Amino acid sequence: MNAYKVERWTRQSVFFSAAVGALLLVLAVGPLVFPPGITDRLTTLFIYIILAAMWNALAGYGGLVSIGQQLFIGLGGYALIRISNAGVPMFPALILAIVIIALVALPIGELMLRLRGGEFAIGMWVLAELAHFSINLDPLIQGETGTSLLALNAFTPGARRADIYWMGLALMILLLGTLFVLLRGKIGASIQAIRDDEIAAASVGVKVQNGKRVMFVLAAGGCAAAGVLNLATTISYQPHAFFGIQWTAYMLFMALVGGLGTFEGPIIGAILFFSMETFFGATGVLYLIGLGVVALGFALFIPRGIWGEVEARFGVRLLPVGYFLKMVEGEKVK
Amino acid sequence: MSIKGRNIVVKDKSFLNAVSAKTLSRRRFAAVSGAGAAAVALSGRAYGQSMAMSSPDTMLKVGFVSPRTGALGAFGQADGFVLDQTRQKLAQGLTVGGKTYSVTILDRDTQSDPARSSQLTKDLINNENVDLVLATSTPEVVNPASDACEASGVPCLSTVVPWEAWYFGRGAKPGQPSPFKWTYHFSFGGKQFAIGYLSAWDHGGVATNHKLAVMDPGDADGMAIRNNLNPVLAKAGYTITDPGPYQDGTTDYSSQIAQFKAAGCQLFNTFPIPPDFIAFWRQAAQQGLTRQMKIVQSAKFGLFPSDLEALGSLGYNILSTAYWHKVFPYKSPITGMNGIALCDAYEKATGTQWQQQLGASQSLLDAGFAALQGATDPKDKAAVAKSLSTLNVITQVGRVDFTSGPVPNVATTVLINCQWVKAHSGPYKLDYLVIENAADPNVPVQHKMRPYR
Repeated sequence: MNAYKVERWTRQSVFFSAAVGALLLVLAVGPLVFPPGITDRLTTLFIYIILAAMWNALAGYGGLVSIGQQLFIGLGGYALIRISNAGVPMFPALILAIVIIALVALPIGELMLRLRGGEFAIGMWVLAELAHFSINLDPLIQGETGTSLLALNAFTPGARRADIYWMGLALMILLLGTLFVLLRGKIGASIQAIRDDEIAAASVGVKVQNGKRVMFVLAAGGCAAAGVLNLATTISYQPHAFFGIQWTAYMLFMALVGGLGTFEGPIIGAILFFSMETFFGATGVLYLIGLGVVALGFALFIPRGIWGEVEARFGVRLLPVGYFLKMVEGEKVK
Repeated sequence: MSIKGRNIVVKDKSFLNAVSAKTLSRRRFAAVSGAGAAAVALSGRAYGQSMAMSSPDTMLKVGFVSPRTGALGAFGQADGFVLDQTRQKLAQGLTVGGKTYSVTILDRDTQSDPARSSQLTKDLINNENVDLVLATSTPEVVNPASDACEASGVPCLSTVVPWEAWYFGRGAKPGQPSPFKWTYHFSFGGKQFAIGYLSAWDHGGVATNHKLAVMDPGDADGMAIRNNLNPVLAKAGYTITDPGPYQDGTTDYSSQIAQFKAAGCQLFNTFPIPPDFIAFWRQAAQQGLTRQMKIVQSAKFGLFPSDLEALGSLGYNILSTAYWHKVFPYKSPITGMNGIALCDAYEKATGTQWQQQLGASQSLLDAGFAALQGATDPKDKAAVAKSLSTLNVITQVGRVDFTSGPVPNVATTVLINCQWVKAHSGPYKLDYLVIENAADPNVPVQHKMRPYR
């Protein structure tokens, strides 16, 4: 007689999770051994990975396609400027800014989650533009001129670079870890049910609104973290650079190309995007055309994205967020 | 650069080992082997560059950051030419205190993106180990570059951003000591606009009823002009009709046009982004406003011939101040050329009409290399910053003097009011002629101002 076994940890995923742990350990000592250029670039990579994972949490798992996530990137940067200007020391200010924007996202979510599909997507963009113009009115920001995070100049270049790197790494681990735990927990199952069919999920008792709310706040906090980190690395706060629609284009690219609705996909998408930017960014217009062509190609021919395709073809799952059902011979079951 | 860098993305470990044994410090090798192939592949470009960095202490590296493509591309159009000329002149090296240094200028295109400007500047600092960063044209390019330098303790000199937008726009507060130790800026400011405007309007020989229409957008430049320039103009005897700030990108200007017509304004002053002015001015022509105008003054729109060409005959006789003009009498200490020689060389080499950024970019190089030459040790960043703080030289645009600026870290340069007129001869459609020289009497006046209509 045949029996079935539910597996979460496959041999692959055990091995791969261990490898990820080891890689993170290596990254943790990064600033001590890497030359400054690499430390700096890796911080940018962490920001991209956070952005891709957060957009994926929202669209891939929550089924909420937003083209206004730059709202939280811009607000995160703005909060940091304001808090730092009030005299709060730099690193507490970084954390405080993220927490405040995540809290601000709660009422925004209550309002926006009443909208659905295209209405939600456009609504978020409208909100982002609205926030952009409102912040321009702040005399500290001086319209589009913006201002700079001068408090950071108090640190020596080396210490600042290393601290922001560690901050980026820690936030990336924290945010992706939170998403991982959420997806494995009760809420993960309900969110994936919502993604597959919202009405059907509601009909079998899934608390749809609750699941969406959690994803919305997580993605908002994550994007705020990316905004705060971006400001800490660039120092200049120019509103139109932080509230620019290009952020959404980047997030969309990374999540779509990597594989929407998979945990690993957006990370791969972020690494791919980052590599393209590093190697081809200097070619200007050609680079942008290339990005567009790649995105189009994926949308037309590989709609599941890189990881979605790999997962479907080979049944591999490197990080155990789902379950495998395995058939085993009766006598082997103990 | 990137081709060299890509060689490093090699999975073959023996290659890495061979390279590392020769040219890498142990620390860097540890980093590479520690991060593994993934990290090496990711940062290949950066890594490749730092590997090539075997910078001896007789080599000076200067970064040049400007917008060559994208929305601000018109500013960077002439930079390639200016850089080529300077590179040729400095091919034999730069002599400082009896020692000759070889010179490498690394130019970077920000693609008009502030984030990219910051990234490229950090790349120049971290991977190229530049001794000085030069940045030019608009706050979108210059402010992030200056910030990256300030934070990294690398000297930076910049130009072509109204100095208030550079100084206060980066968080400095009026009346407080300057928060900047490494970054210096020379450019015009609000005061220079007032000098050029009033000189032409009051003494240019075109009689008006002193009724001034203003169109200032709600962006940073527009607000600064509304708050700082308009009161000066009102005090000088102009009655201002101001319909209030409008958003950049507005497409319908009927209400403002009606207001100006009702007030009978004969002067017009504006600070728009170029596409907005083109939309506004076409509507003004359709609705009859342009017919009553005697003097039309624009800033931001009207810097480059391409702006005016888009407007056709409606663009004739518009005034726009120049931060540099081909008749400026000053010679670049690097190339030894005066403005006319520079513009002739440019037009001959490119077949494109000269434009004012030519002189500004050249003067940035002039001032930058003068600062390196004036430093006790040009390889010492603190010495270069100190040299910048007391810099006082003649460049292509005229005198750049940091000992007498309005605030520390800033030197002001002049604005001269000029008029765009239909060209009588020559290959180009329009001429850009000097009509007054109140700010610098050494600049010859070329032309008597004509009324707009």
